[in-house]
Amino acid sequence: MLEALFGSVNRERVLLFLYVRKEGYSREISRFFRTDLSQIQKQLERLEVGGTLYSRTLGKTRVYGLNPRYPFRVQLEALLDRALAFYPAEERERLMMIRRRPRRKGKPL
Amino acid sequence: MKSLADMSLGELAAFVWTHLHRHGINCVLTGGACVSIYTTGCYQSYDLDFVERVPSSRKRIREALVELGFFEESRYFKHPETKFFLEFPAGPLSVGSEPVKATVTLEFPTGQPALLSPTDCVKDRLAAYYHWNDQQSLEQTLLVAQSNRIDIGEVRRWSDEEGKLTEFETIKQQLLARRNRP
Repeated sequence: MLEALFGSVNRERVLLFLYVRKEGYSREISRFFRTDLSQIQKQLERLEVGGTLYSRTLGKTRVYGLNPRYPFRVQLEALLDRALAFYPAEERERLMMIRRRPRRKGKPL
Repeated sequence: MKSLADMSLGELAAFVWTHLHRHGINCVLTGGACVSIYTTGCYQSYDLDFVERVPSSRKRIREALVELGFFEESRYFKHPETKFFLEFPAGPLSVGSEPVKATVTLEFPTGQPALLSPTDCVKDRLAAYYHWNDQQSLEQTLLVAQSNRIDIGEVRRWSDEEGKLTEFETIKQQLLARRNRP
């Protein structure tokens, strides 16, 4: 949808994912979109170097998010929000519906 | 001319800035290096962040710095004679979500680099404190305020624009106390 503007469909996917979910890691994003892990990693790294994303480590995992200090963050979020409205409802729901509440270790389902 | 090994952070920044300027690369010193300069070394940074006012190519920057003996390693430029290293973070030149309106020029024996004003330097550090709750950034803010003239009203206005007025009010007394210290 914003591929022409962002230059890559995976860059759009990464930004959209992080806009909706707030944070995410490369394998999680690549699994969600069923796409190549290395391509997602490349986009995450590029966006971090460009100041659009931040990253932090959580255990052994590098977690990314939209950088709150990015000067165009508000405008970027508005663009992503608008783009999200054009996504199919089921895709939007899939992106938004994620279990955030805690799950006790060993709990069967 | 001093060797790079003997240059202070400010002298090296001025030397590099002048060289880049001669090559038509228009940049401003930002980040922890400004804190280091404004606190005359109370806070020591080894990272010289230059943000370009108008983006030029990485190749052009590399070619200019190679002339001085720097080499590129990952995202940094290093030199065998100095522990300081250079970085060129992506622009635009901003503090939080606002563009930097004016920079200041300081005089060193090696040149006159453009850098963030003390007030913008405080905003830059506060942005890190506000968004990451980074206590080191707050301490750097207070160190800069202690030895420089800071426009507190402007910092308050900017904090409000950033949606961080409550946070500003929380640290305002600390800022004023440090500022008023002789």
